Amino acid sequence: MARLRSAADLEKKRAQILSKRDPKKPCITLCSGTGCHALGSDKVYQAIVSELSRNGLKSKVDVRRTGCHGFCERGPIVVIFPAETCYLGVKPGDVPEVVSKVLMDGELVNRLLYKDASGETIKHEGEIPFYKHQRRIVFGNNRLIDPKNIDDYIALGGYSALAKVLFEMGPEEVLETVKRANLRGRGGGGFPAGVKWETTRNAPGDIKYVVVNADEGDPGAFMDRSLLEGNPHSVLEGLIIGAYAIGSHEGFVYVRQEYPLAVSNLTLALSQVREYGLLGKNILGSGFDFEVTVHRGAGAFVSGESSALMTAIEGVVGEPRPKYIRTAVSGIWERPTNLNNVETWANVPLIINRGADWFTSIGTDGSKGTKIFSLVGKVNNTGLVEVPMGVSLREIIYTIGGGIPRGKKFKAVQTGGPSGGCLPESLIDLPVDFDALTEAGSMMGSGGMIVMDEDTCMADVARYFTNFLADESCGKCIPCRAGLEQMVTILDRICRGEGEAGDIELLEELSEVVQDVSLCALGQTAPNPVLSTIRHFRDEYEAHIERKRCPAGVCKALISYYIDPNKCTACGICLRECPVEAISGGKNLVHIIDQEKCTKCNTCFEVCPTRFSAVVKSSGESVPAAPPLGAEVMRKKGKRE
Amino acid sequence: MARGRAKTLSGERSSAKEKSRGGKATPTTKTIRGSERNDSRLPESVLTRISDRLGMPVSQVSHIVETIGQAAEEAGDTDRIVEKYEGDKAALIQILLEIQRENRWLPRDVLMSVCKKLGVPIGRAYRIATFYKAFSLTPQGRHQVSVCMGTACHVRGAPRLLDRVIGALNINPGETSPDQKFTLETVNCLGCCALGPVIVVDGDYHGNPTPKEIERIVNSCN
Repeated sequence: MARLRSAADLEKKRAQILSKRDPKKPCITLCSGTGCHALGSDKVYQAIVSELSRNGLKSKVDVRRTGCHGFCERGPIVVIFPAETCYLGVKPGDVPEVVSKVLMDGELVNRLLYKDASGETIKHEGEIPFYKHQRRIVFGNNRLIDPKNIDDYIALGGYSALAKVLFEMGPEEVLETVKRANLRGRGGGGFPAGVKWETTRNAPGDIKYVVVNADEGDPGAFMDRSLLEGNPHSVLEGLIIGAYAIGSHEGFVYVRQEYPLAVSNLTLALSQVREYGLLGKNILGSGFDFEVTVHRGAGAFVSGESSALMTAIEGVVGEPRPKYIRTAVSGIWERPTNLNNVETWANVPLIINRGADWFTSIGTDGSKGTKIFSLVGKVNNTGLVEVPMGVSLREIIYTIGGGIPRGKKFKAVQTGGPSGGCLPESLIDLPVDFDALTEAGSMMGSGGMIVMDEDTCMADVARYFTNFLADESCGKCIPCRAGLEQMVTILDRICRGEGEAGDIELLEELSEVVQDVSLCALGQTAPNPVLSTIRHFRDEYEAHIERKRCPAGVCKALISYYIDPNKCTACGICLRECPVEAISGGKNLVHIIDQEKCTKCNTCFEVCPTRFSAVVKSSGESVPAAPPLGAEVMRKKGKRE
Repeated sequence: MARGRAKTLSGERSSAKEKSRGGKATPTTKTIRGSERNDSRLPESVLTRISDRLGMPVSQVSHIVETIGQAAEEAGDTDRIVEKYEGDKAALIQILLEIQRENRWLPRDVLMSVCKKLGVPIGRAYRIATFYKAFSLTPQGRHQVSVCMGTACHVRGAPRLLDRVIGALNINPGETSPDQKFTLETVNCLGCCALGPVIVVDGDYHGNPTPKEIERIVNSCN
């Protein structure tokens, strides 16, 4: 492939790619993101390929493996173009039927289509409620692109924004546009990207760096991963534009090595852009030089913090350092360094192509554009959701997310990752943007959104996050290192039923110290989960401490299981499944749980058929005396007492 | 040093005792090591003798010997990896990551050899190896079992699942079973929250398995 030497070359290339593509030719696209991969999309792909060749359709039908579509709950997802027929939960066994109908107009595999509540099937991906209420400006191209093929990105207008800035705009104009668009950092802080760019641009020094932060460490958040895996060129294009505006000639992508697909797709994308002359010396013949190095993160949550990440790039342990001087002025090797999150960079080409006015027309006063959230936990439609800033939590959780599974009651939603907070039902109509979330005691974070139902214990959740952060604290600052440890100790004892009066106040006091005296954002925000759960769910803490009761039935030390003799039908399922043989009984004999042997693993509770619901989980009250061994069950026809 | 050890192991077919001690710094070239790679197995009679003395099955002894041999061979490859990064000190983390990926753990002599090449203190390598989660300073089991402890999995019952897996494998997270069969680890979010709580055994994902299913999965590993 010859290097593209001008903007005209790029357009010629685009026209050439498009001329070879017949929009009417059927194309089977298959989601190959991490979620669908876990659900077996590899096997589906193999089945599609062999089925096509078996039927001699190889030249008549294209196959494309795309990045994550977002609807992870129902993967693997197959979308067939040009009709955009969307099949969900496709198994290798379904493939022959799917393939056989590809060339038959109007014939569908109905059982694989989405069905709404009324049983009506929906054919097009975009009309499925999960997608219909989203606005996928950043994430939407994932489903159209094979991330391993740069031509797919170029065919959709890729790198036209880069050509535009290089030949039609000066660096200042680019900077001004991004500032005017009020693009705020998607990684958590929400700092205006344009202002940061300007600081780095104006900082003294000839050598400046730009960095993509893809060290997405929030457990339960995977939007950056899916973007980098599914559409790496959008991130790279944004980065090169940023470098041009800032006056940088060297960039880094810091990506977690736990994301092997992201690393390999990114590395491949880099070699393709180099080959095309979109990266390296004299990009598109403009005279602008820029190179990018991939740096793999070795797995430390704190390394996602900007100064820690820069230290890690220098080859030493990624610990944060004081930011009396901003990293924008003194970052990697004490040179001006501009760092933005994956999603922030991916927004840049859109702003350049469609203008700041278009971008500011989306969102709220203070937060412009869209945000991708990873909607997970106790929600029907797990997946990645992109919505305009300002959409309410209710709309995300219920309209798009399909509500809470099994008719359970919504309790809270946790946003912002371990540093964020839990928001209760009373705040469910809160518009989601940077400022509203911060005001409510949580934060945007990178966009994790974990839904919790009535079966989630808030003290346990606080303990989980605090424990995670104590584990991830680098140990540099004493309040963070020792303070979080002490908070975990207190939370542990509360969850064990050994909490004491005054523990809640002690937690609050410790939180204040950790917040005030820690150096980096990890410590400063670490108490958020504890504080927000105390603020909104104090009664749950009190139940643990005063009544030794876990209202959600989660904390092991505070719950017990017994079998209601009036409901037990002696079906033997729990007896067989109990891993510690704590259940006795037999044919027609009421099953009894030996409280001494029981490890509270919850297995009996899960396996007892719902039509019996004989296993009872209790907390805060004593277990009723078991019937004598050998008591017979009451048959359906028998009278119940 | 690392190269020397490779020579000792694959070249001279020394006993297990000598292997654990490391070897002398006799430089070898890659071709020699490569051509001898197939010969690194011990004769059946020696394996039987070791297995008698240690009271473990021959298959296990042979696996351990093979693992040690491979580790030593990989150690010899550190030079190649260091050279790939042109001896750049700032690439220490990247170099260790590559060694970890190929070798699945970081033996002490490998760390020493890397640090010597780069001219950095060994303490820095240990600091990195203990700070980041990706590194292991002990050999890993043949089967990798990861339990996701991400938030989504947590609220869907990951702690209970972890208890079950601990019960089934009889090892705690971060540990390797004495027969080198399993290594259990916990990870923070695998990005497949729809399946949660999830365990991954040798790259295969299993969503919310029951105790019986865990038993079946574990038993299917050799």
